[in-house]
Amino acid sequence: MRFLIHQESRQGSRKSNQDRIAYSYSRESLIMAVADGMGGHLHGEIAAHIAVKFLIEAFQSQARPRLEDPLRFLLDSITNAHLAILGYAEGRNMPETPRTTFVACVIQGGVAFWAHVGDSRLYLIRDGQVHAVTKDHSRVQQLVDIGRVREEAVANHPDRNKVYNCLGQSHLPRIETSRRTPLRRGDTILLCTDGLWGPLSTRTIVEAVLKDEVLKAMPAMMNTAEARAGSDGDNLSAIGLAWLGEEALDPEVPRSISTKTMQMSDVATQTAGFGKDGAADFLSDDEIERAIREIRGAISDAGTSGKL
Amino acid sequence: MPSHNNQPLPDGYQLQGYRIERLLSSGGFSLVYLGADEQGGQVAIKEYLPASLALRQEGDVVPAVPEENLAVFRYGMKCFFEEGRSLARLSHPNVIRVLNFFRANQTVYLVMRYEQGRTLQEDIARNRGALRENYIRRVMTLMLNGLREVHTNKLLHLDLKPANIYVREDDTPVLIDFGAARQMLTESEYSLSPMYTPGYAPPEQYRQRELMGPWSDLYSVGAAMYACLSGQAPPPADQRVQQDRYVPAVEQFSDRYTVQLLETIDWCLQIDHLRRPQSALALQKVLLRERDPAVAGRRTFVAGLRSSLGLLAGRSREL
Repeated sequence: MRFLIHQESRQGSRKSNQDRIAYSYSRESLIMAVADGMGGHLHGEIAAHIAVKFLIEAFQSQARPRLEDPLRFLLDSITNAHLAILGYAEGRNMPETPRTTFVACVIQGGVAFWAHVGDSRLYLIRDGQVHAVTKDHSRVQQLVDIGRVREEAVANHPDRNKVYNCLGQSHLPRIETSRRTPLRRGDTILLCTDGLWGPLSTRTIVEAVLKDEVLKAMPAMMNTAEARAGSDGDNLSAIGLAWLGEEALDPEVPRSISTKTMQMSDVATQTAGFGKDGAADFLSDDEIERAIREIRGAISDAGTSGKL
Repeated sequence: MPSHNNQPLPDGYQLQGYRIERLLSSGGFSLVYLGADEQGGQVAIKEYLPASLALRQEGDVVPAVPEENLAVFRYGMKCFFEEGRSLARLSHPNVIRVLNFFRANQTVYLVMRYEQGRTLQEDIARNRGALRENYIRRVMTLMLNGLREVHTNKLLHLDLKPANIYVREDDTPVLIDFGAARQMLTESEYSLSPMYTPGYAPPEQYRQRELMGPWSDLYSVGAAMYACLSGQAPPPADQRVQQDRYVPAVEQFSDRYTVQLLETIDWCLQIDHLRRPQSALALQKVLLRERDPAVAGRRTFVAGLRSSLGLLAGRSREL
C-alpha cells in the first residue's frame, strides 16, 4: 500500500479536548478512527478514548496482515467498543455513561470500508468532487432529509449538536456501514469531527484538498476551521489520507507487519492513565458473588416455595 | 467472530441441586434446559453461554472463553444478572417465577418454574392469525395483570411480543424472557440483525428512550394483539415514523372482530406515546368492556369507521 497520511487534533477554544483519533496499519491493511466525546455527557473523552483504543487494539490483533472481513470487523469491534464503554461506566458506578460519536475506515486490498455512529464524518473526495460522505445521525440531518433545513444551514442550526445515535448510549447503537468502495489513485479520504466540518462548507473542504498535497492541505484546513469558529470553537480533529495505489511499497512505509499506533497530536497522549488495559476489570469475582447474593435475597423476599 | 454451536450439558448431568433432563432451547445468548430439583419437581434452567464469546466443546463442562472475549463475556453476565434481578422482585401468577440463581462452571444459572404450554406466537402461527376475539381478550387481560405487576415494580418489559407470552395448558398466560438487557449481547453477536424485535418495539425505543414508560410496553401489547388478528406484526415503528404504512386494524378486520377491539388495538399502536393508553389498567378496562352486555349489544360491522382518538383518550381518563 502506498499512501500519504496526516492526522491532527486540536483543542479549539474548549477547556479540554474530548476528541480522540488514531490510525494503524499492517503490511496489507490500514485503519483510521476518529471519535468525538460528547460534551453534554460526563467524561465524553473517556468514551472516545475507549472507543479508539478498542478499535485499534482489535485491528492490531486481527490484521495479520489482513482482516478476514473488514465490514464484519468494523461492526463487531464497534459494538464491542460500545459494550466496553458501558462496562467501564458500570464498573465504576459512574452516574452517567460517557458517550462518543465514532467513524472508522479500513483500507485493504485497495478497497475502502467504513462505518460510523453519530455526526463525525468521512468524506471520499475523487476527481475534485465529494464521491461519498457519511450521513450524520443527528436531529438536524433528519430535518435536512425531510426538507425542513437546507444542507448549508446545518452548521448554524440550533439542533446541530443533537446526536441521536452514539456509542455509550443505553441501547445498542445503530452502526451504519458503507459498501465496499474500490479506491483510485488520487482519492482522498478525510475523517473528521464536527469541529472541522462544522465551520467549513463542502466546497471549502474540497478546494483545500485540491489545492495542496494532503500533508499540507490538512493543517491549512484545520487553520481555516479554527479561525472561522472563533472564540467558542469546538475541539477539531481530522485524519486525511491520499491514496497512491496498491503497488510497490513506499520506502517510507515499513515492510514489516507493523501495527504501531501513531498518535501525532500531543492532545491524544494526554489521555493516558485513566483506562486500564485489563479486560477483567469490568466485573470482578467479588462483584459476581455480590450480584448473586443480591438476586437470591430478592428471590427469598418475594416469597418462594422453599426450593432455594 | 466465528459462529459455532455450543455443546449443551449432557442429559443426566448433576448441576448443584438439579439434574439436567434435556435441552429445551438454545439461543445466541443462553441455553435453556429442563431440569429436576431434589424433590423431583420440574424446573427450567437458563445457562448464560453467549455463543460468540464462549465455546463448550464435546465432553467439556466448563466453556472456554478466549482472553480477548473475557471483558464482553463478563459484561454480558451483567445483563444476565439484570434479568435475574428484575424477575426476582416479581411474584405474580402471570409472570415467570424465578426459583434460584447460582454460579457454576464459570458461568451463571437462572432457575425458573417450568410451565407447560406454548407461546402465543405458536398459537398465531398455527392459526395464521385469526385467533378468536374472546381468546385474545382473555389472554391479554390476564397478561396485563402480570404487566401491571411489572410496572408497579418500576420495571418495563421492553421486549413484549407473542414469542414472550407463554400460554399454559389452561389458557392462562405468563410473561417470560425479561431480557431487555439481554439484547445488548445478542446484538453484538449478530451486529447486522435489527436492534429490536421489529414491529413490536415502540418508536421511542428506537430514538427517544427518555420518553419510555408503561405506554411503551402497551404499544407492544397492541402490536401483539394485531399479530393475533393478522398473523404478523405491524410495520416497524422506525419505518412508521418516516412514512406510516400502517393500515388501522379497524379498516382491515371489522368483518371478523368488534370495532371496539380494533379501535383498542389502533389506540395502542399510536405513534405518539401520549395518545396511547397510559397504563396497563386503562387498557385492561377497555378490553373487559366488551364483556359488558350493554357494550356487546352495540357490536357493529361498519368497515372504515375510524376511531375517534379524543373520545378514546377521554374514556381512559374517565376510567
